[in-house]
Amino acid sequence: MLEIKNLHVKLEDEDREILKGLSLTVPKGEVHAIMGPNGSGKSTLAYVLAGRDGYEVTDGDILWNGESILEMEPDERAAKGVFLAFQYPMEIPGVAGLTFLRTALNAVRKKRGETELTTPAFLKLAKEKGAKLNIDVEMLKRPVNVGFSGGEKKRSEILQMGLLEPTLCVLDETDSGLDIDALRVVSEGVNALRSPDRAFLVITHYQRLLNYIVPDKVHVLADGRIQKTGGKELALELEKSGYAEYSNKAA
Amino acid sequence: MNVAVMKTKAEQAISESFEVAAAKLPGSAAVQARRAQAIGAFSGLGLPHRRIEEWKYTDLRANLKEVLPAAVEDKTPLTIAELLVALGPLAHVDAHRIVFVNGHYRAGLSDTSDAAGLMTSTIAKALQSASEEAVARLASTPEGGDAVEALNTAFMTDGAIVEVAKGASVNRPLLMIFVRAGSDANAVTVRNLINAGEGASATIIEADVVLPGAVRDTHLNTLTEVSVGKGATLNHVKVAVDEGKSLHLSNWEVRLAADANYSGFQFSSGLGFARNGINVLFDGEGSKLDLSGAYLARHSEHVDTTLVVDHAVPHCESRELFKGVLDGHGRGVFQGKIIVRPDAQKTDGKQMSQALMLSEDAEFDSKPELEIYADDVVCGHGTTSAELDPDLLFYCRSRGIPEKEARALMIESFIGEALDKVEHEGLREALASYAMQWLGRSRRG
Repeated sequence: MLEIKNLHVKLEDEDREILKGLSLTVPKGEVHAIMGPNGSGKSTLAYVLAGRDGYEVTDGDILWNGESILEMEPDERAAKGVFLAFQYPMEIPGVAGLTFLRTALNAVRKKRGETELTTPAFLKLAKEKGAKLNIDVEMLKRPVNVGFSGGEKKRSEILQMGLLEPTLCVLDETDSGLDIDALRVVSEGVNALRSPDRAFLVITHYQRLLNYIVPDKVHVLADGRIQKTGGKELALELEKSGYAEYSNKAA
Repeated sequence: MNVAVMKTKAEQAISESFEVAAAKLPGSAAVQARRAQAIGAFSGLGLPHRRIEEWKYTDLRANLKEVLPAAVEDKTPLTIAELLVALGPLAHVDAHRIVFVNGHYRAGLSDTSDAAGLMTSTIAKALQSASEEAVARLASTPEGGDAVEALNTAFMTDGAIVEVAKGASVNRPLLMIFVRAGSDANAVTVRNLINAGEGASATIIEADVVLPGAVRDTHLNTLTEVSVGKGATLNHVKVAVDEGKSLHLSNWEVRLAADANYSGFQFSSGLGFARNGINVLFDGEGSKLDLSGAYLARHSEHVDTTLVVDHAVPHCESRELFKGVLDGHGRGVFQGKIIVRPDAQKTDGKQMSQALMLSEDAEFDSKPELEIYADDVVCGHGTTSAELDPDLLFYCRSRGIPEKEARALMIESFIGEALDKVEHEGLREALASYAMQWLGRSRRG
């Protein structure tokens, strides 16, 4: 279970507070969507969960399965099952996708006390999981994300997620830059990973993604706090009325 | 020139060292006369220092304090097994081998017997029996040569003479191995001559390696003269791997005939204090030059790459890409000059030099220079220095890759673009392995 308690976050080198007492609970097996206007703190929340530098938590805590993760390095969090699918996946020229995936997978397995995979075993697994996302070996031999289309980048994020088998999946604007076909493939990839042991936090500006990845709960984030929580129908309401109501609250 | 200059102790010691070594250095009387002439030229020039523009960032005079005795002979025992250990990842490259131990040819370790179209012999032998004409070619300092090249002429003990026959296509690379072994700290001076005949094609690798446990503080002075014939293709790679103590002075003098294809690559890691000079002359139209390299320096290592690419004729293309990784107090120097002579129209030259700074104390000095005297040319150069991208580091770490490994992966990514220039796959992998060893990562299984 993910428990975010009264989380206050500001940028390290700026005094402006971005998250202002955010509280949220996501039980295992559930998919929760976070929707909100631009600048509401959605991406900050995603980065703080994954442990990116540059943010300062001034109050509150984040517990994953009862354990605070705030003091953990990003790679330790990954080993504990935290995974962030980036809004803008990074390109790594000169490093083949397969090398990257294998390095990551074996690092995580090692920390989880599992044996490292041999090259053939890894290749088999990568091929198998890749096929479901229309990612072939040729694509995996290319440098990580270099020259990939928006859809290819997002599919490769979901492949990474599938391989690392996280238990807390945070998807940051995964729908941005995707056409309908790509959106469908990516969503199917995500839905295939839904399981009673896994919690999902799906961050999005638009309701569209939630037609494909149907959430158990929808939270509206504005002005650094959860303003409203509801069922999946809340997303439809927001699509009609927009965020004006919440933005006004913020002002 | 008759300038009264105060000589440094080291300069004096070099001249004295020559007096001691001269009688033991190989060569006929004519060769000895040329050596004496060269040491005379050196005395006039002195060790290059920071007030000489080309040596501004690499003050040899300040860094060469102790003069080591010339390695005039060598009897260090060395087995094939030890040689393979010294070679490290390069041992896996299937190649013809010509081996020099502390600057002296070792027939027992060499194997070039079945190399059709490839003829190898040694400088020492050639110097002993050289005709007047050959002496002029073998025992001379290249035109415009500096003090370091003059010293090479004075002290050279041996080296490889490689001839790729006209039209021959040599499939396996030739690996010229210069291994240091034993416990004598000395100065090793090597001269190589490589000639690719008309229409020939070959891959030649020069490897400066050290047997683990051998003395570290050696001084190396290597000069390799390369001539690429009309329509010939030569892939020339230099690998210098050391552990941060020795002084490396290396020069390539390359001449390209018409329609030649020359691809040169230099990889180094752990060189204590190094100056790698590369001079290329386009001597015939329609030729292509692809020059690149990667160097890794840490602690207080100093690696200087100084290029002069001389477009003396029209319709030639040159590309340079050099990447340096600098950690600790490591210092990288890059000086790249492209000269386009008045007649060299339609010249296409591009140069890029990049450094990755891993510490606050690392230093990178880059001086690209274009000297263009023709008006119908396309030339460009660029230089960058940057730290590891924190966003990329976070991306890798968010995938569970620990910081040290993530940094290594990103450094691999940085130099990967240069390594990709090496066409021979086995060789490229060997270079990647050296880089990974430097980064403290094991070889990918």
